[in-house]
Amino acid sequence: MNTVAIASSKLRDLYARESASIEQEFSVTGEGSVAVARRTSVVDTILLRLWNEAISPDPEGPKNFALVATGGFGRGWLFPHSDIDLLFLHAGSGSENDFKDSIRRFSQELWDLKLKLSPATRTVAECERFDPNNVEFAISLLDCRYLAGNRDLFARLREKVVPRLVARECKNLIQNLGEITRGRHHKFGNTVFHLEPNVKDGPGGLRDYNVAYWLALISAMEKLRTWPDPKTLLPVSSRRPLEDALDFQMSVRCFLHFRHGRHDNNLSWEAQDEAAARKIGASDAEVATAADWMRLYFGHARAVHRVCTQLLEEIPAAWSSLSRQLQNWKSRVSTPDFSVVDGLVFLQQPGTLENPEMLLRLFHFIAEQGVKLSTTTEYKIEQALPSLAATPPRGAELWLYLQETLVQPHAADALRAMNALRLLPLLLPELKGIEALVVRDFYHRFTVDEHSFLAIEHLHRLKESKSEWDKRFAELLGELEQPELLYLALLLHDSGKALPGDNHVEGSLELTDTCAERLDLDPADRETLRYLVGSHLEMSTAMRRDVFDPANVKSFAEKVGAPERLKMLCLLTFADIKAVNPEAMTPWKADSLWQLYIASTNYLSRSADERVHTEEHSSNLAHLRSLAPVAGKKINNFLEGLPQRYLRIHGASDVLMHAEMAAQLGQEPIQLSLKQVRHWYELALITTDRPFLFASVSGALAAWGMNIVKANAFSNGAGVVVDTFYFTDRFRTLELNLPEWERLKKSIVEVIGGKADVARMLQDRLRSEKLSGTKVKISTQIEFDDDCSAHSTLVQVLTQDRPGLLYKMCSQISRQECNIEIALIETEGQMAIDVLYLTSGGVKLSPDRQAELSRALREELDTK
Amino acid sequence: MTKVEAIIQVSTLDAVKDALHEVGVEGMTVYEARGHGRQKGHTEFYRGREYTVDLIPKVKLEIVLADDMVEKAVQAIVKSARTGKIGDGKIFLSRIDDAIRIRNEERGGSAL
Repeated sequence: MNTVAIASSKLRDLYARESASIEQEFSVTGEGSVAVARRTSVVDTILLRLWNEAISPDPEGPKNFALVATGGFGRGWLFPHSDIDLLFLHAGSGSENDFKDSIRRFSQELWDLKLKLSPATRTVAECERFDPNNVEFAISLLDCRYLAGNRDLFARLREKVVPRLVARECKNLIQNLGEITRGRHHKFGNTVFHLEPNVKDGPGGLRDYNVAYWLALISAMEKLRTWPDPKTLLPVSSRRPLEDALDFQMSVRCFLHFRHGRHDNNLSWEAQDEAAARKIGASDAEVATAADWMRLYFGHARAVHRVCTQLLEEIPAAWSSLSRQLQNWKSRVSTPDFSVVDGLVFLQQPGTLENPEMLLRLFHFIAEQGVKLSTTTEYKIEQALPSLAATPPRGAELWLYLQETLVQPHAADALRAMNALRLLPLLLPELKGIEALVVRDFYHRFTVDEHSFLAIEHLHRLKESKSEWDKRFAELLGELEQPELLYLALLLHDSGKALPGDNHVEGSLELTDTCAERLDLDPADRETLRYLVGSHLEMSTAMRRDVFDPANVKSFAEKVGAPERLKMLCLLTFADIKAVNPEAMTPWKADSLWQLYIASTNYLSRSADERVHTEEHSSNLAHLRSLAPVAGKKINNFLEGLPQRYLRIHGASDVLMHAEMAAQLGQEPIQLSLKQVRHWYELALITTDRPFLFASVSGALAAWGMNIVKANAFSNGAGVVVDTFYFTDRFRTLELNLPEWERLKKSIVEVIGGKADVARMLQDRLRSEKLSGTKVKISTQIEFDDDCSAHSTLVQVLTQDRPGLLYKMCSQISRQECNIEIALIETEGQMAIDVLYLTSGGVKLSPDRQAELSRALREELDTK
Repeated sequence: MTKVEAIIQVSTLDAVKDALHEVGVEGMTVYEARGHGRQKGHTEFYRGREYTVDLIPKVKLEIVLADDMVEKAVQAIVKSARTGKIGDGKIFLSRIDDAIRIRNEERGGSAL
C-alpha cells in the first residue's frame, strides 16, 4: 500500500466525520453560511494534504505550479453537494508535462473520496486570453483563491492577469454575462414567483446574487484597474437586504442538499413544508405555515432579483448599440414631473411624492412608457408610504388613475413594481392576501399575484403577437368598450384564494365587492366586474363539454347573456389559462375557446327575438320589481313582449327610465333621452312604431355629423319602440355647445314627426364633407337566415362603414315594405356589422322578397 | 400486459375517468388530440369569415393494464363515452412486452 492510498483512507475518514459534523450542526442551528464555510475549510485541508502527498511536500512549492480555488469554491461557498472548481495553474507549458501524472493522481484521489471535481488546467498566459465560448472560465477567475503551490505565480494571476483581462474585456464580459443571465431568467419565465422555485438558478436565486456581485466587480475593476474593496461594491441601499437574502438562501440551499442527499436545488412543496416546520433561515421571523415561509423566501428572492436586473441595465459597459438607442429614446420621454435616464425614472422634484396623486401618476407613467424605477425613486416611495398608509387614496380619484394605468401597455410591470414596494396592497387591501401566495395544484406554476399580473401582461402583449390565435383574441380586445374592467377583474379573479374555504370564487366575489366599494364604481360597472370575477371559470367549464353541441352553446350563451360580456369573459379565460404556465394555452385549447366564443356570439345574435312575458318567473324581472315596487304595473306594461335581448343589454336603471318614459307617451308622443356615457353619447327614443322611424333617426344623427357606432331597436307587444343609438360626436358639436343638446333633440323630433326633410339634411351634410379614403376595403356581404327566429327573417349585412350608412340601409328596407322588428348595429373599425330581424306584412320574408331586398340593398350600399 | 388507447369526446373525459377509477384503474395518461373519423368537420361563420375545423378536438387516454383488467376497462370506457352519435371515438388495444418503474426498476406487472 503506498503512502497516497494510506492518506486517502485517512482523508476519507476525515471527510466523512467532518461532513457528518457539519450536517449535525446545521440540523441544530440551520445556519447555511457557517455550513458552507466549514465545508470549504474541510475541503481546503484535504486538498492541501493530497498536494503534499501527490505533488509537493512543500505546501508552497513547486515554483512553477500552483493550485487555485475558483468559482463557488473560490468564494468559500461550498454547499454540501457543490462541485469543487479547481485551477491547476502553470507558469508555462513546460510544467504542464512535468506534473501531468501527479495531477491525474491528485484528481483520482479526490474522485475516490466522492468529491465532485471540476478541474481546469491553464498557463498564466492562457488565463489572460478571453474565450467568448467559455466566458464562465473568465468569470470563475473573479473568485480565485490561493490553495497551494507557488504564491508568486498565484499573485501574478490575481494582481496582474485578472485585472488586465477584466479591464480589456470589460464590455465583452458584461455583455456575455448579461446574455447568459437573461437566457437563464427566460428559462424560468422571467419571474421570481414560481410555486416550486430553484434556489440557485431561478430568478432571485443565489446565481443572481453572484451576477450582481460580478457586474459590480467588473465595473469597478474597469475603473480602478485593480481589485476594489468587496464590501463597497453593491449599492448602499441594497446591501442590508442582500446580506439578509444571502444568509437565508444559503441556509435554504444547504437544507435542500442535506435533505435530498445530492446537488438538487429545487424547492419542492414537500421541501417547503419541512423548511417551514424547521423554520429554515427564519429563526427571527414569524413563520406559522409553509405559505408564510414561502412569502419570506419570495421577499428575499425579489430583493436579489431587483438588484441583479437593475445592475444588468445600469452598468453602461453592458449596453449594446441597440439598447443604447432604446435607452436614449426612453430618455426623451421625460416630463416636468419625471426624468428618464438610461431607462430608469427619477423624480424632477424629490419632495412631491407626499402627494398621493403624484405617486399614482408615477406608476401610470411607468405603465405607459415601460421604464423602471431608479433605486433613488424606490427609496423615496418607501419613505412616502407611511404617511400614505394613514390616508390612502380611494374612491373615484383612485379608480381614475388605476383604470388609466391598467390599460397601458406595460401595466403588468407597473403593478409588479407597486406590489414589490407594498403600494398595491396598500391601495387595494383586497390583494394583500395573494401577495406571494403559493397555492398548490398541478397546473399553476406561479404565485397567485404573479399569475394575475401575467394574465394582464398576456392581454397587453396580444397586440404585438404574430401568432394566428393571438391575433384573433387581440381583435376582440380592441373592440372592448371598457377594457379597464377586464383588467381589474383579472387582478381580482383569484383574490379569494387567500381566504379560507374550498370555493375561491366566492371569496373573490366578497373581495370584489369591497374593492368596488373602495373604488366607488358605478352600479353598472360593479355588476360587470362581479359578473367577470364570479364567472371566470364558466367558459373553461363549457369548453370541457362539446363546443360544437348547440345545446351546450345555447346553455352557455344564455348564461352570459350579452355580447360585450361574452367578449370580456372570452379574453379573461384566454389570459387566465395562458398565465397558468407557459405551456397551458395549447393551440388545442385556443381552438376550443375560439369555437365556443364564435358559436355563442352567433347564438346571441340569432336568438334575439325571444320575447319577455311578464307573467313568467324571471330573476331579472324580480330584481327590477324589487328596485321599483310601486311601479310594478308600469314596468310590466312596458316590458311585455319586448325581446329578451333588451333585458340582456340594458341595466336596471335604464329599464326603469325607459318604463317611465313609456308611461309619459300619453302626454308627449316622442320621448327622448340624451346623455354622455364615457367616450360616446347615448340617445334613447321611446315612441309608437311607424314606418321609416329607425331610418329617420339614423339619418338625422348622420346629418348632424354624428357617427353611429352601435344601435338597437326593439318593440314591445303594444307597439312601443325602444331605439337606442350610441354615437360619437365627430365635430365636438355637443361638447363645445351646450345649447346644441336641445337643438339636436328638437331636430330629431321634427324628423320623426315629418316636419323636417331628413334626406335633404343628410344631402347637405354629405355634400359639405369630403369623403376620406378608406384604409381597409370591405366588400358588402348580405346573408339571410329564416331558421333562427320563429317570427322574423334575419338579415346580416357586413359592409364598409360610412356617414349616413344606417339611414341609407334602413330607408331601403322600409321602401321594400319590410318592418324592422329588431336591429343590432355594431361597428368594428371600418366594418359595419348590422343584424336586422325583418318582417313583411307581419310574417317572415318570402324568398322572392329576400332576393329583391338583397338586390336593392346591394345597389344602395355599393353606390358611393 | 395490454396498452389501451382510447380516443374519446372531450365532454366525456370526466365520466370516463370516473368509470375507470371505479373498476380499479388508477393511473392514466391523457393527451389533447385532434382528428376525425366518419364524423365530418365543423364550420362556423363569424363576421363574414368562415372558420372551419377539419380536425375536431378530442382527448386520447393511454393506459397499460394487466390482461385481466383489460375487458373491465374497455367496458367502462365504452359505457361512459357512448352517446350513440357519430364521433364517440375508438379504442385500440395492443400488446406490451415489458414495463419498468424508473424509481426502483421494478419490472413487469408490478411496475404498473
